[in-house]
Amino acid sequence: MQTIIEELEGRFKATPLAISVPGKNQKAVYLKTGEKSVPEIMLLLEGKGVILADLFAAENFDGDKFSLFYIFEKRDDPVMMVLVVGIDEAKAASVAAHFPGACYYEREVADGFGIEFTRAFDKRRLFLHEVYPEGFHPLLKSFENKPLDIDYSKLVKEYPFRKCSGEGIYQIPVGPVHAGVIEPGHFRFHAIGETIFNLEIRHFYTHRGLEKLAEGKTPLECCAVAESVSGDESAANVTALTMAVEEICGIKVPLRAWCIRTILLELERVYSHLGDLAGMAIDVAFPLGAAAFFNMREETLRQNGALTGSRFSKGIIVPGGLNRDIAQSKLGGLQAYTNDFVARLEKAVADIKASGWVIDRFETTGTIDKALAAPLNLSGPVARASGVQVDTRIDHPYGIYEKLRVEEYPREGGDVLARFLVKADEIKNSIRLIQDVLDQTGGGPVFEKYEAIEGYAMSMVEAARGQNLHWLWLKNGRVERYKVRTASFCNWPVIEHAVVGNIVADFPVINKSLNLSYAGNDL
Amino acid sequence: MNWNTAVYIVMNPLFALVLSPLVLGLIKTVKARIQGRPGPPVLQQYYQLRKLFHKEIVYSEDSSFIMRLGPYLGIAFMLTASLFVPMVFIPQTGWFGNIILFFYLMITAKFFMVLGGLDAGSTFGGMGSSREMTVSSIIEPVTIMSCAALAFVLKTTSIPEMFRTLLAGSIFSYPTLILVGISLFIILIVESARVPVDNPETHLELTMIHEAMILEQSGPKLALVELASGVRQTVLMALLINVTFPWGLAGLAGCASLLLAAVTMAVKMLILAATVGLFESLLAKIRFFRLPDFFMIALFLSFITIVFELLR
Repeated sequence: MQTIIEELEGRFKATPLAISVPGKNQKAVYLKTGEKSVPEIMLLLEGKGVILADLFAAENFDGDKFSLFYIFEKRDDPVMMVLVVGIDEAKAASVAAHFPGACYYEREVADGFGIEFTRAFDKRRLFLHEVYPEGFHPLLKSFENKPLDIDYSKLVKEYPFRKCSGEGIYQIPVGPVHAGVIEPGHFRFHAIGETIFNLEIRHFYTHRGLEKLAEGKTPLECCAVAESVSGDESAANVTALTMAVEEICGIKVPLRAWCIRTILLELERVYSHLGDLAGMAIDVAFPLGAAAFFNMREETLRQNGALTGSRFSKGIIVPGGLNRDIAQSKLGGLQAYTNDFVARLEKAVADIKASGWVIDRFETTGTIDKALAAPLNLSGPVARASGVQVDTRIDHPYGIYEKLRVEEYPREGGDVLARFLVKADEIKNSIRLIQDVLDQTGGGPVFEKYEAIEGYAMSMVEAARGQNLHWLWLKNGRVERYKVRTASFCNWPVIEHAVVGNIVADFPVINKSLNLSYAGNDL
Repeated sequence: MNWNTAVYIVMNPLFALVLSPLVLGLIKTVKARIQGRPGPPVLQQYYQLRKLFHKEIVYSEDSSFIMRLGPYLGIAFMLTASLFVPMVFIPQTGWFGNIILFFYLMITAKFFMVLGGLDAGSTFGGMGSSREMTVSSIIEPVTIMSCAALAFVLKTTSIPEMFRTLLAGSIFSYPTLILVGISLFIILIVESARVPVDNPETHLELTMIHEAMILEQSGPKLALVELASGVRQTVLMALLINVTFPWGLAGLAGCASLLLAAVTMAVKMLILAATVGLFESLLAKIRFFRLPDFFMIALFLSFITIVFELLR
C-alpha cells in the first residue's frame, strides 16, 4: 500500500490530507486528488489488486461542495488508503467498471446526495424506493430531518428488474412480506422448472435514516444509533463508533475496558453463529439437530443479560471505555459457563455431521466462487468458507486482538456445508478467546475521560457477519457525518451468484447459511 | 341396505373425521418433545379448526369457481375413500372396498386441491401444484405396485376382504406383509406430506409442496382442506395398521364390541402417530430431485413381495 501511495503522490500530485488530530493508531492515509485524475488512478489501482472497501460522500468537507471517499484495502496490508475526491457539481465518473462493488455504493450515494455517476451501468434507485419523489435526497444538509408528507400509494415509477424470457422460464417473486417473522426483502427469481436461472434481490425496506439521525448528536448520544444499525451486531457497531471517537480525541482506553469489550464482542459472534447453525438445520427440516444450538444460543443471550443487563449487550460500551464496570463475580460466572461449552458444541456438530440426509442437503449447495471475493469485497465467514483468508481481527487488529490468538479456519468448498463448519469452528475459537481474555482481565478503571471536538476517523471491526467499516466526522463536538458500511452491504449481492444452478427449494438454506442482515444493509 | 351397512357408512368416515386432528396433534407433540420443547397442546388441531370455521373467507381477485368448489369436492372424495378402509368393524356388504378405486378416489381429491393451488394465480400455489403433481406421478407406480403386492398375498382386491382374511389367519401365515407394510409406511409419509418429502411445519414458502398449494385458502375452506388432509392421513394409517396388525377389529357390529374396537383402533393409531413423529424427527428433508430414491425403497419391497409369493 505504501508504494501505491507514493506512486499516487508522484504521478497524480495527490496531496496527503492533514488529519486534524492524528491518533496513535491511525492506520489510514488520506490522499486528496482532483476529479480529473480519478479514471487514471482507478485504472492503476485495479492493476495493483487493491479492494474497494467503501465509497461514500460527505458535504462541505475540506472546502469542497461534495467529497467522495474511496477507501481501499490491500489484503495482508494493515495500511488503508482513503482517496478523497472533491467535486463541485453533483456529478462524478463511475468507477464500477474497475471495481464492480462500487455499483451498490454509487447507487447509495446517488440516492442520498443526488450525485449523478456518469457512465454507470446501473442507475436505478437503491434505498429510496419508488414512492419517494424525484429530487428527494435525504443526506443533503439542506434537507431537514422531519416526517415526510408522501403519498405512499403513488409510485413515481416502476423499479425495472432484469428481464428474462424464453421457453419454460417463469418468474417467482418472493417477499418483501414473508410467512415467517423475518426481516423484509424482495427476491425475484427466474426458474426453469426447479432450477434457478437468475435471481435479483431488492431490499431496503427497513430504511430508518440512521445516518441522518446521527447528525448533530454528541458521540455519546450517537451510541444508541450505532447499536440500532443491526440488532445482533450492536456490540460490534458501537465498538467501531467508539473506536472512531477515541481515534479523534487520541485517548487510550483502559485495558480492563477493552477486555470486557472483547468478551462482549466474542459473545455476540457466538450467539449469532449459533443462530445460523440452528437455522441451517431447521431449513432442511431437521429441528432435532437444531435444538441443541437453539438452547446454547439462548444460554449465551442470558449470559449477555447477566453481564450487561441487556441480552444484546446494548448500553454499556461508550466512547472512552464502558459506562459501568462488570463485577468480577459475574465474569467468574461466565468463565464457569464456558467450561463445558466447546464439548457440548462439538457433540451438537457431530450429531449434524452424523446425519447423511443433512450433509447431502448442505454439500455442493450454494457454492460461492473464491474469485468473487475481491471484486465484491466479501468478508466474514462467507469469504472464509470460500478459501479467502480475511479477518479484520487479524488483518487490522484493534483493541487487544493483537495479543490474542485469533484463528482462521478457511475451507475451500464455498458451499453451505463449508459455511456451516467455518461458523462452528469460529464459535469454538471465540469461546477460547473469551477464556483467554477472562484469564488476563485484571482490575483497574474502565473509563477514560475524553473530549471529542473536531476531526474525522475511520474504524473497522469484525462483526459476526464480517468487516464493518465506520467513518465518523465530528465538528464542534457534534456528529457532522456518520457512515456505516456493514459486511451485509457487501455480502448481499453475492447471493445472486450463489444460487444460480441450484433448485428453488434450496434457496432458504443458502440464504440462511449466509445469514445477512437486512437492517444492517439499510441504515 | 341392512342396518349393518348403514352403521358402517356413518361410523367409518365419522371415526376418521373425529380422530384425524388428534393424530395430527400427537405427531406435533411427539416432535416437539423430541426437540426438548413442550409443544402445542395435543388438542390444538381441534381449536385450530374451530377458529378457522369462525373466520371469514377471502378469495383472490383472480380466482374462479374452482377455489370455491375445490375444498368441498376434496373432502367429499376423501370421505368416500374412507369408506373403503374399515377402521372399526368389517361390514358384511361387498359394495365398496376395491383397493385400486380407493387410491384413485384419493388422487381425485388431490386433483381438486392441485387445481385450487393453480387457480388463485399466485406464484407459490402454482409452484406447489407443480411439485405435488411431480411427486404424485412418481409415487403412483409405487402405490399400484403395493396394491398389487397386497392383492397377490391376500388373493383379493377388496380391502374388507383382505382384513377378514388377515383376522382369520396370523402374521406368520403372511410374513411378506411386513415388506408391504414398509411400502405402505413410505406411501403414508408421502401422501401426508411429511419429512423427508415435505415439511408440514415450515414457514419457508419456497420449500413447500402441500402447504404452498393451500396458501390462498382461508377460513372454513381452509379448515375443510386441512380436514381432508387429516382424513387422508388417518385412512392410510388405518390401512397400514390393519394390514400389519388387524387384531382388535370387530367382526360383528354389537355395541360393546364396536366401542372396544374403536378404542383399540384409536390406541393403535396413536402409537403409529408417535412412530411417524419419531421417524420425522430423525430425518431431514431430502433434496427434491432425490425423492425417487426414497420412493424406490417402497417400489422394491412391493416388487420383492410379489416375487416371493410367486416362488412360494
